Amino acid sequence: MVSSLARVRGRLLAGSRGRVLNGILLILIAAALVLVATRAIALGPAYFIQIVVYGLADGSIYALIALGYTMVYGIVELINFAHGDVFTLGGFVSLWLIPIFGLEEAKSVGPGIIIPLVAILVISMLVCGVVNVAIERVAYRPLRHAPRLAPLITAVGMSFVLEGLMFLWRGPFNLHYPNLLPADSISLGGSASIAYKDIAVIVIALGLMTALSLFVERSKLGKAMRATAQDRDAAGLMGIDINRTIAATFFIGALLAGAGGMIYGLYFTSIAFDLGFSAGLYAFTAAVFGGIGNIQGAAIGGLLIGIVRVIVDGYFDSAWTDVVVFALLVLVLVFRPTGIMGMRVPEK
Amino acid sequence: MQRRWLSTTTIAIAVALVAAACGGGGTGATTTGPAATTAAAATTAAPAAEIIIASDLPTSGADASSGLPTQNGAAFAVSQTPTYKGIKITFKPFDDTVNGVHDPQKGAQNVQQMLSDPKVLAMVGPFNSNVARAEIPIANQGQLAMMSPSNTNECLTQLFPYCDPKPAALRPTGKNNYFRIAAPDTVQGPAMADYVIKTLKLTKVAVFSDNETFGKGVADNFVKRLTSTGGTLTNRQDFDMKTTSDFKAFINAAKAAGAQAIYAGATSATKACIVRSQMAGILDVPFTGPDGIGDDQCLKDAGANTANMYFTNAAGDAAQNPDAAATVAAFKVAYPKASDLGAYTFPAYDCALILVDAVKRAIDANGGKVPSRQQVIDAVQATSGLKGTVGTYAFDANGDPKSATMAFWFTKGTPAVWTFQSQFSVQ
Repeated sequence: MVSSLARVRGRLLAGSRGRVLNGILLILIAAALVLVATRAIALGPAYFIQIVVYGLADGSIYALIALGYTMVYGIVELINFAHGDVFTLGGFVSLWLIPIFGLEEAKSVGPGIIIPLVAILVISMLVCGVVNVAIERVAYRPLRHAPRLAPLITAVGMSFVLEGLMFLWRGPFNLHYPNLLPADSISLGGSASIAYKDIAVIVIALGLMTALSLFVERSKLGKAMRATAQDRDAAGLMGIDINRTIAATFFIGALLAGAGGMIYGLYFTSIAFDLGFSAGLYAFTAAVFGGIGNIQGAAIGGLLIGIVRVIVDGYFDSAWTDVVVFALLVLVLVFRPTGIMGMRVPEK
Repeated sequence: MQRRWLSTTTIAIAVALVAAACGGGGTGATTTGPAATTAAAATTAAPAAEIIIASDLPTSGADASSGLPTQNGAAFAVSQTPTYKGIKITFKPFDDTVNGVHDPQKGAQNVQQMLSDPKVLAMVGPFNSNVARAEIPIANQGQLAMMSPSNTNECLTQLFPYCDPKPAALRPTGKNNYFRIAAPDTVQGPAMADYVIKTLKLTKVAVFSDNETFGKGVADNFVKRLTSTGGTLTNRQDFDMKTTSDFKAFINAAKAAGAQAIYAGATSATKACIVRSQMAGILDVPFTGPDGIGDDQCLKDAGANTANMYFTNAAGDAAQNPDAAATVAAFKVAYPKASDLGAYTFPAYDCALILVDAVKRAIDANGGKVPSRQQVIDAVQATSGLKGTVGTYAFDANGDPKSATMAFWFTKGTPAVWTFQSQFSVQ
């Protein structure tokens, strides 16, 4: 009797505490929105639209990288720290291929550049896929049953190895990435416009993400991946080749990262050997934001971070950007520990 | 048994080496008198007394495109005077980059290393103002003369209310050992502001910086002059360049505010010219900056968007000085590659020239013997009317040049190259 009373009281308290916390969260969000809105009204709607266009393009790139983190985490519960550097590798490989395919900034224009660009994209993606599978084979698979800390450290190690190799290959400079996409744009009313460049980035990224989603949901291998994520041993007993499925996950994640690397280069016109560290950190944040292990969550997390970043950059001071993004991450995790869309990782 | 014998010999050799090293360093530091010199000369024939002029510059990685040409100038100048009164004068370069970027701690270590070698009597460098901040106190305690071709931060030599650390705090002994020939940022930023308003006839300018000592300082001084002479600052951002490569929001804000020009308080190593590349198709206005953007890396980063770029150089152009023609020609024979020559090659040449001249006078004053480091500092301070390739030198008590030259450069042609436009003298 007493214990059940205590239980009810506890539940009520927890309920009211939850409401208070939710209330605080809502007030904080409302305050932030009001602040943004006053700035946005002062600078006009065209400015806002322009900022959102940039944010969507940035966010699509983060989303592409975030997918690799989230897929790998979903299936082996490992944070593949080398993933950010696989992304950079995509940029480096495509940068190396561009002159080989005869493309040159300011000289190669028109629809003729689409075929070589797509060829470069596909080759860079495949190279990244193969490298990531090799990393999995060498650094993670032998440690699958080792204590958690061991693959974590080999992941950090592989990240530094890749970074070091790219440093040796092209040196520490910021490398200029040819500005191949056309600079023309379509007006969106007022001074706002969307460049073909922005459209290309958003369309390619969304296309790849949709393809991935469909693949995981519809294909046989996708089903095997979901089964392995849910219960590796049971999936194995059902005749699923666990090693092959996990390798396929690393391969697909790296395909997207490789594409992201090339798109990043084309969009920002500059890459550097240590790019993967900061871009990877943002993408990983996006994955956790959306709910790690959740593919749609990673995509939404990426887009959200992209938009938050440009809003702070565009309306306030860029010194605040990281503060706001990570404060937001802390807030989201405090109130929703499983991310916006919820985790898709089985409890074990 | 054999193994033990081996290890004993190794230890013996190691002990001998350590003893020799310590002995050499110890005696060298205290006695450079005639007894030591003659004794050395008596045992082996050749080793005459030697003076080393060192340099500390960023000569690898992203900074190498400006650091290496600078080092070439200093090396070339020292090589013009191989001996003086039987004393060898040689050049020894140090590199202050870590992972490809100039590093204050590495610079400080290099100075420690110079101080531990009694033959090093002066140094050319450093290249970057934040490296200078770390090096001056150490060199100061070892009485080592420093001569920088390119440090422009005003707080290194002059006291302003906002200086932290203050110039006196950099000189623990209370005596000055640091000299430079570049005009300070109090001149470089305002010079470009004047240029934008008077020559380019533009008034609305957007400014960004890399938030480093140099970049932020020069941007602050640009803004001060701009706003006090009728110009408007449209918007400003101080980026953390380690985590940002995305400048589109800043460029868009500049466009929305009607900016007619951009001022970059940054260097090529801190992504200044990536901003230029990202401006393509959004905002087509002149791009201006300090000497830190005046190199090939900047033009590479800007890609196809290289027209209409300008920078101030805190030193003159040797090609404008007819008296320097022979020196320039001789340099080009010794260093034939185009990338061997940079905006600070001849300023560094002049730095080394001033030091060699000071060392010579110090030797004379010391009766033809190797002088002490303090004697070299005194000789540098006493420099007057020394003609170099890009200026005529004398120094005030702070170590600043009594007159300095400021030059404007702009991009010309396709592919673009930095081209000299005009220069003026500042007092």
